[in-house]
Amino acid sequence: MQNSRSSGPSISPAAVVVAAVFLLVSVIGINWFLSFVPVVLPEQASAESKSVDELFYILMIIGGVVFFLIQGMLLISVIAFRAPPGDTGDGPTYHGNPLLEIVWTIIPALVIVFLAVVSYNIWTQNSAPKASVNMVDGASIKINVTGARYAWTHTYATERFDPDGAQIIINSGADLHTYIGQNVDLTLQTQDVIHSYWVPAMRVKQDLLPGDPAQGGRPTQLRFTPVRVDGKTYPAEYPIVCAELCGDGHGRMRGTVIVYEDESRFLDQFYEPAIHAILNPPADPILRGEVEIQNYICNSCHILDSLGWTATTGPSLNGIAERAGERVPGQSAEEYIAISIWNSGAFRVPGYDQQMAAFGPDVMETANIMSPEQLYSIVAYLCTQGEHSDCDMENASTSIPAAIQTVFGYEVDITFGLDGDAGAETPDAEAESGDGSA
Amino acid sequence: MATIAVPLGAQAEQQEAEAIRRPALSEYLRWSVDHKIIGVQYGVSSFLFFLIGGAMAMGIRLELWTPELDLMVSGAAYNSLFTIHGTIMIFLFIIPMWAAFGNFVVPLQLGAKDMAFPWLNAFAFWLIPPAAIVVLLGYFVSPAEAGWTSYPPLSTLFSGDGQTLWALGAHLLGISSIMGSINFIVTILNMRPPEMTIWRMPLLCWAVLATSIIAVMATPFLAGALTLLLLDRVAGTTFFDAAGGGDVLLWQNIFWFYSHPAVYIMVLPGMGVLSEVLSIHSRKPVFGYRMVGLSSMGIAFVGFTVWAHHMFTSLQPELRIPFMITTMIIAVPTGIKMFSWLGTIWGGKIRFTSAMLFALGFLSLFVIGGITGVMLAALPFDIHVHDTYFVVSHFHFVLFGGSVFAIYAALYHWFPKVTGRMMNERLGVIHFFFTYFGFLFTFFPMHIVGMLGMPRRVAVYAEGFQAWNQLISLSAFVLGFSTFIVVYNVIKSYYHGPIAGANPWRALTLEWQTTSPPPPTNFVDDPIPFEEPYGYGTEASAAYLDAVDEAFSRGAPNPASGH
Repeated sequence: MQNSRSSGPSISPAAVVVAAVFLLVSVIGINWFLSFVPVVLPEQASAESKSVDELFYILMIIGGVVFFLIQGMLLISVIAFRAPPGDTGDGPTYHGNPLLEIVWTIIPALVIVFLAVVSYNIWTQNSAPKASVNMVDGASIKINVTGARYAWTHTYATERFDPDGAQIIINSGADLHTYIGQNVDLTLQTQDVIHSYWVPAMRVKQDLLPGDPAQGGRPTQLRFTPVRVDGKTYPAEYPIVCAELCGDGHGRMRGTVIVYEDESRFLDQFYEPAIHAILNPPADPILRGEVEIQNYICNSCHILDSLGWTATTGPSLNGIAERAGERVPGQSAEEYIAISIWNSGAFRVPGYDQQMAAFGPDVMETANIMSPEQLYSIVAYLCTQGEHSDCDMENASTSIPAAIQTVFGYEVDITFGLDGDAGAETPDAEAESGDGSA
Repeated sequence: MATIAVPLGAQAEQQEAEAIRRPALSEYLRWSVDHKIIGVQYGVSSFLFFLIGGAMAMGIRLELWTPELDLMVSGAAYNSLFTIHGTIMIFLFIIPMWAAFGNFVVPLQLGAKDMAFPWLNAFAFWLIPPAAIVVLLGYFVSPAEAGWTSYPPLSTLFSGDGQTLWALGAHLLGISSIMGSINFIVTILNMRPPEMTIWRMPLLCWAVLATSIIAVMATPFLAGALTLLLLDRVAGTTFFDAAGGGDVLLWQNIFWFYSHPAVYIMVLPGMGVLSEVLSIHSRKPVFGYRMVGLSSMGIAFVGFTVWAHHMFTSLQPELRIPFMITTMIIAVPTGIKMFSWLGTIWGGKIRFTSAMLFALGFLSLFVIGGITGVMLAALPFDIHVHDTYFVVSHFHFVLFGGSVFAIYAALYHWFPKVTGRMMNERLGVIHFFFTYFGFLFTFFPMHIVGMLGMPRRVAVYAEGFQAWNQLISLSAFVLGFSTFIVVYNVIKSYYHGPIAGANPWRALTLEWQTTSPPPPTNFVDDPIPFEEPYGYGTEASAAYLDAVDEAFSRGAPNPASGH
């Protein structure tokens, strides 16, 4: 190296050999890197995932070249240019090479331009609104996702109506049901803080932003199209994860995307049975209540052993019927539970400072709409939670509707399911009652 | 080379100890306007915070050993733990740690007797203890749980009083940072010796200048955001409350307008250190000096245009592309630095001192952080890994693989100047290997769990990620252990290290042309800088260094001179 003191490092045959070896190692190394791609990314379950992964391949190739170039130069330097023992002298006085500096400015700049163009194309293709979205049975329906601490709720605004003419809304809780080839277009809305809806297998993610409820919130959109994954048994399941810190239960705010093989299976296994269940609720209010309460986000905050709920943000619901009658003097257990649900700010259990979400017949959030009949059945179910219920369970079918009538002024139609035509699920079936929205 | 110590008898050792005149330890505990005292005050206090924040990281990794919640009483307790970990590491460790090296070294490199505003300098430091007390008290009262990013409405409508204390503490630290930075800008632009034009200034000064310009321009935005947050929390305003006409994205925009440039506040001084250490310890001038200096300014400038890439999943879709492009542009000046550093060591005579090892470790790790940075800029891929462990990995490669490795390099490099004694090189090498491999196996696998589907900031995770997380936790414990080595080395070397002499590394920058530690006025006579700060390999530079050795040889034998 001493002879390069004045002229600086120049290209020698040895350098060419080193460069050739280095190039070979890089090519092998990058190929080795790429062999890990299927291991380090989830399955490609959407059309979008394929293009995103292509971009990842490109990034890995370019990143691999940079990685091997710099680590290689570094390795060569620490081996070749270590000061010999006892050598206390200086290296060559070499201040730079303008040509080299221009090269290593322009080449990265060109690479950046290339990456920007590729990314732009993939982004515009993936984020563009599609022509026919959420197609179910020939109609485009609206699918809403509600995020609330700490649960996802999916609702389908169907094109069907109950005998009273009300639109049927399917609530599938934490599960999103879809099928291969459906252009899914979700409308996302949060009830409290910012959440982020992430389906790793689909490579899509979108934040849910708090907006002014009086103006319909601040909905955001998320689009993807499920595709077939080889070797997967259907219906296939993929996790939904909350990716934006939302508080205590952020880590357990999860859900599942259930992908059916085709639309007819989607209709047979999910859509029609769900509508049927709404049109034909169990005649027993307690049984119906057990179903209804699981369609809401109650499990995101409360403990209830009978349903396996474990969240601790709100007070426990275990044995609620034993305590409800003693909370407020002069108020029956039925009234206390009903008020706690529909007028959630009315009472605050000591030690819990979080305001519960609002439920009722005319709340803004679709996922929280609750008819008087649903309230009746949920109160009836909660009245069974505890060994000695404070509720008048002998006369539940009159005491609970009376309580709802007293505190909210709503008349409850308790005849649902009782005299119904068991097979009725078409809008013209007249025997059904109850408003049917879930 | 620094370990070549002349064997000494006990008597001789005592004589030498008398030869290095260090301030009494008590001087470090009280108000002082001496930039060298303040530098050490910054350094020791922020290192203590590094130990506290590191212990918290160990707690985080212990919790993540299993997919269930077991160590912590609740998810909220876990949230407050990583919130305070991030806050301490950023605001109480890295940023003030660079103020430590900036304070101690920059006036010396400029041949100045002190900073331009010594009183302001001391005041900026003494804002840190009360701020730290406020932040830490908040942790014990009712901890902030919204992450160091504190997004509303989680940090406003859904958090306890600790969040208010957190914001007050961060406010004070911001003020401290602004005052420190103004001082650096004035000092660097006005207090150079007449011979030292701006193009003959050491690159650490360039980096601190660029950093200070960023801090002065960006930190007021943090102050603005924190003020709005405090008003929302205590005065009933609704800047971030949609129900009252506010907007949650307002916070994200202002916060990141500060906090993205803050990444460069944390990394640029490290890049300055790297230019110094790589050049001195490979005995070769910095390759492309002007471009290295200018690229600091380039990064500082472009760094102001990229903030919204932190909001790729919340920003309006149409606005995402422009921020992708500006973010990618940052790679160009960063690349110039990387290549120039390689050009610096290429063909040199590399001494594998501990300082050099950490500088080379920075190069090798920071390139990974740079590559993942470009990957994260690529919008469609970012959408998948945004807010996942991929991001956690990326910013630790930048802030630990980058900043912390540079801090260690700076520590081993300037410790002799600060204390008059060399650090133990053998322990330094052991420390380096534990840190390098502990770091690599802690943070590299995080890329993979992130891509596979593990979001960040979770105490519970899907069972499939447990094996990865146990590997990460084990490596993290090794990394945590490595810290004890350097703590032991610092304490042992402070009392028993070999005497350093004025210029143990035979460096040309001015901080080495005075005794170690320097006298209270830094230089006895006005120092004359060598014509260029990194002009190694010339006869003139050798003559200059020999003359310096000669001048200071009265104190102690110089273990590095080799003559």
